[in-house]
Amino acid sequence: MLHNRRAAPVSPSALDVNRARSLCLRLTLWLLAVAAAGLAFGVAPTPSIHFKQALSVAADSEFFPPEPIRARTVTLPDDWADTQPSDATAVWYRVSFDAETARASGELMALYIERACSSVAVLLNGKLVHVSGRLTEPVSRNCQRPQLIALPSALVEPHNNQLDLKVAGFPLQRVASHQRAGGLSAFELGPHAVLSAKHRWRTAFAVNLPQVVTGSLLLVGSLIFAMGWVNRAQSFMAYYGALLIGWALVLSRQWVSDLPWPNASSEFLLAILASFVTFAAVQFLMRYGGERRRWIDVGLPVQCALMPLSLMIGGAQRLHAMATFWYMVLAVQIAVAAMHYLRKAWLLRREQFWLMASLGGAMAVAAGIEFTAQQLGIDQRAVDAAQLVPPLLFMGLGLRMVQQYGRALHDAQQDRIELERRVQDAAAQIERNFAQLADLKVEQVTERERKRIAADLHDDLGAKLLTIVHTSDNERISTLAREALEEMRLSVRGLTGKPVPLLNALGDWRAEVMSRLAQAGVDGHWQAPTEEDVPQMLSARAYVQTTRILREAVSNIIKHSGASRCTVRCTIADGDFQLIVQDNGKGIPMELDGRLDRGHGMASMKHRAKQLQGQCLVESGPGYGTVIRLTLPVDRHVAPA
Amino acid sequence: MKTILLLEDLPEIRTWLKSLVTQVFANAQIVECARVHDALAQVSAQKFELALIDLGLPDGSGVDVVSALRESQPEALSVIVTIHDDDEHLFPALQAGAYGYILKEQSRELITEQLQRISQGEPPLSPSIARKVIAYFAAQAKPPTDTLPHVSLTERESEVLLRVAKGFTLPEIGVQLGLSRHTIADYVKQIYRKLNVSSRAEAALEAQRLGLFRR
Repeated sequence: MLHNRRAAPVSPSALDVNRARSLCLRLTLWLLAVAAAGLAFGVAPTPSIHFKQALSVAADSEFFPPEPIRARTVTLPDDWADTQPSDATAVWYRVSFDAETARASGELMALYIERACSSVAVLLNGKLVHVSGRLTEPVSRNCQRPQLIALPSALVEPHNNQLDLKVAGFPLQRVASHQRAGGLSAFELGPHAVLSAKHRWRTAFAVNLPQVVTGSLLLVGSLIFAMGWVNRAQSFMAYYGALLIGWALVLSRQWVSDLPWPNASSEFLLAILASFVTFAAVQFLMRYGGERRRWIDVGLPVQCALMPLSLMIGGAQRLHAMATFWYMVLAVQIAVAAMHYLRKAWLLRREQFWLMASLGGAMAVAAGIEFTAQQLGIDQRAVDAAQLVPPLLFMGLGLRMVQQYGRALHDAQQDRIELERRVQDAAAQIERNFAQLADLKVEQVTERERKRIAADLHDDLGAKLLTIVHTSDNERISTLAREALEEMRLSVRGLTGKPVPLLNALGDWRAEVMSRLAQAGVDGHWQAPTEEDVPQMLSARAYVQTTRILREAVSNIIKHSGASRCTVRCTIADGDFQLIVQDNGKGIPMELDGRLDRGHGMASMKHRAKQLQGQCLVESGPGYGTVIRLTLPVDRHVAPA
Repeated sequence: MKTILLLEDLPEIRTWLKSLVTQVFANAQIVECARVHDALAQVSAQKFELALIDLGLPDGSGVDVVSALRESQPEALSVIVTIHDDDEHLFPALQAGAYGYILKEQSRELITEQLQRISQGEPPLSPSIARKVIAYFAAQAKPPTDTLPHVSLTERESEVLLRVAKGFTLPEIGVQLGLSRHTIADYVKQIYRKLNVSSRAEAALEAQRLGLFRR
């Protein structure tokens, strides 16, 4: 979009495109200017003058050398390496122009110089109108900075104006890069408004953008460096940060104008910066690939020391040649490291491979363009763009690293939270287990203690009660002792709360009753519900008491009744459990007071039934046999299973 | 004439039991012991037809005497006479080789009746013990033991046990199954024997397992 030509020769096709573009632009600007001017004054704008040739002489004088014989005409852009003496540090250029129309229109005229390397002074008709920077050492470094010079109307003559440009710079052999070799591009004279637009664009692209990118690189680089520095396990980040910082410094050559030291030092520093960048890049690639080689760790710093040493020995005059050689060596190192890394990534981390390969590819293309520009010279805009590609890619990768770092941090936090949760769970589990264990322990201890007490009671109290049972002549006392023994057993076993299935109780009773009756020669009959009908449970106490009542009743029949037949009926009806024991014996004799014989244990049977909230009815009469009806409320003593 | 071993540490109870035994088994020769040690000496010295053995004794458990008797005189009938009526105490004794048990505090006539049944060759087997034996063999059936002979009840033995558990007396069961009293009593003895064999196999297995662990 700009009329833009390098000091180096430009390929014909690029030139054509440029011409076509610049024509197009000029036409557009011209049309805009016409419209603006037409509205304001109704006058057509002055067309620009393009200077493609100039009278040139190498001389470090205050004015254009008065001796015209030494001057010769050069084609612009002028590359000192081609046209000027090899030791030239200042070259004068002279052009002439007429400014009749401009003067007539009263427009402010301006001169636009795209490249004057490294610094320029402009004289109009012998009067100094502009200096781009210092012209003596340390010469300002303005190779990339376009110049816009407003020409005071008062100094502009209608005809034969003389424009002298003094360019201060350095021959190719004394700079590290072709970009900073002395030279002057073609320049343009025209209305200030038109040229200032061009100038703004060019400045933005060649100066401001690199400034922004340099700042960003420094920022991102420092951040990543700091992250890598604190986390030594990820040392590749530190190297990457260093690489970014190094690159930022390299990029700063685009816009840093004035340095407090001579050009030779600046070029020297820029050249050795390359070894530092290589150091960081190679180490980064190695570490990022998870590798560490002792000889590389040692070799690279040694190279960083060797390069400045060799440049110093070579001297300022051979700087360009030696720097070019070094650049090649360093580029090969980076390329080898990159290939090595990519090979590893291909084998181990395919996803990472594609990212890094595309990055490497873009870098290679950018480097290729840069190299071509160095050696052959191509369109400056392509070079500028190529120069901006690596930093942008660097920043992209850097941000990706920060993101990965952040994700790793996040993952680590998640892991930590998860771990904490698990620890809490485990702690809770342990507490639970401990509580269970404690409960179990309590149970075990209780059980052991119960057994100990039981054993003691049986051995001591039980033995004594047993002795009473079997040695006492008094039936009542032995019965009491027997009951005490059974009571003790119940208490000790804690059976009070442990119910017995009624079905099992019926089995036990039947076995005892029937075998006893059979033994005594009494015809026994047992009627009881079958197992499907008996889901109920009987409390331990009810079981023991009922067993006693039944035992007593059967004893009475065997001992006293003289019965030949006994029937036992068990029924469960209307919430009551009923047990009927009937015999065909001689019945129980009456006492004098009309009550049944105490010796037959009737009283104790009734008493037991009462304890269970039930009742025991005895119907008997001499010669009629005996019927004992035991009724227990089922809601208290017969619970559903 | 029967030779009967009576192991009981309480003198009064021993006297009382002796009179009871004398009443049931007329002309029986009764050897009285108050300690496990003495009883074991007697077991190795002479033959017994019947042994009434208390469990809790000052110098040990009557179960040891039951085991010794089962080992040296398999024909002898060991009957536990005890104050404990819980399975915890009774079942190990039955496993050791006892044929039934008698509770000491029962009345004279009740114990006499039980002893009479024993004298008639009818080993005591209460429904609760029958239930316990059924549960024991059911549990035994579950894990198959490859290394040791598996002891299980025959269908007939199970049938007898089930009927005992329901409260039927042995003569009743004999009538129900169309078998003689004597045959039923043999079944019961066989069940007791199997309980003993099975428990011994179990013990051997346990010992082997412990041995494996120790190795």
